[in-house]
Amino acid sequence: MVKLLQFHFGFEHAWSDVTLAFWLRYPNPFASHVLAADVVSRKVDPETQYLHTTRLLLKRGVVPKWGQRFFRQNEAYILEESVVDAKGQRMVTRTRNLNHKKMMHVAETQRFIVDPRNPEWTRVTTDVKFQSSVGWGLTGKIEGFGLNKFRDNAKRSREGMNLVLERLRSRDMHEVNKEDNVDP
Amino acid sequence: MESIGKDCTELKQAYDTCFNRWYAESFLKGNTTPECDELFEKYRSCVHKTLKERQLDKMLDEARSQGGPSLDEEGKKKGGEGGK
Repeated sequence: MVKLLQFHFGFEHAWSDVTLAFWLRYPNPFASHVLAADVVSRKVDPETQYLHTTRLLLKRGVVPKWGQRFFRQNEAYILEESVVDAKGQRMVTRTRNLNHKKMMHVAETQRFIVDPRNPEWTRVTTDVKFQSSVGWGLTGKIEGFGLNKFRDNAKRSREGMNLVLERLRSRDMHEVNKEDNVDP
Repeated sequence: MESIGKDCTELKQAYDTCFNRWYAESFLKGNTTPECDELFEKYRSCVHKTLKERQLDKMLDEARSQGGPSLDEEGKKKGGEGGK
């Protein structure tokens, strides 16, 4: 079973700041489930001048309570690949889980462009694909769980980005990533 | 933010600081010449060692062989960015 959805949202911040915030967004108090993040490859394409990055994220708490007896490892490795075209002011990111794929495979693509109605703002289009093949009549339940969890996470992720963006606007960049122990 | 390899966290933070500055002050302003290669190489080799130890390297290579995202709406690929 596969579920697809698309949604749009915006940030009231410039495209350049939003893409910088994308790199600065961990840690933030809305992402306490993100345990680690690493850049595994990064290069500027000499032909296009696009920046290509691959990051590996480690997140905890991905398996619902009723699923934990089937999937004991309650941590997920997430691959995040991205391309930035600074000249054309476009960024595209794609994230997907590397383990627990049988239970649920979530692939999310986000496109960041300058808002056509306001050059000081940024528009984001998100495409998500959910897929589960676990069987035992649980597939629908898992996809429902995934969808709700995704909506919840997407909201927290936007809140985290907005927090980092507010810090970028008001403070020195080096303070943006200070660790705070607030857990909203 | 920590690295997946606890021993790599210091190297990661040194690299991240360099990269974030370069991204904001050079890359976004059109100067795409890399500046943090030396720090990245130290950090990257530490992370790769950890990935190998935890047998995550194969899982990663397999996923990456599918190619990264494309800037083009239709998902068309230009040469060098990998296949579907």
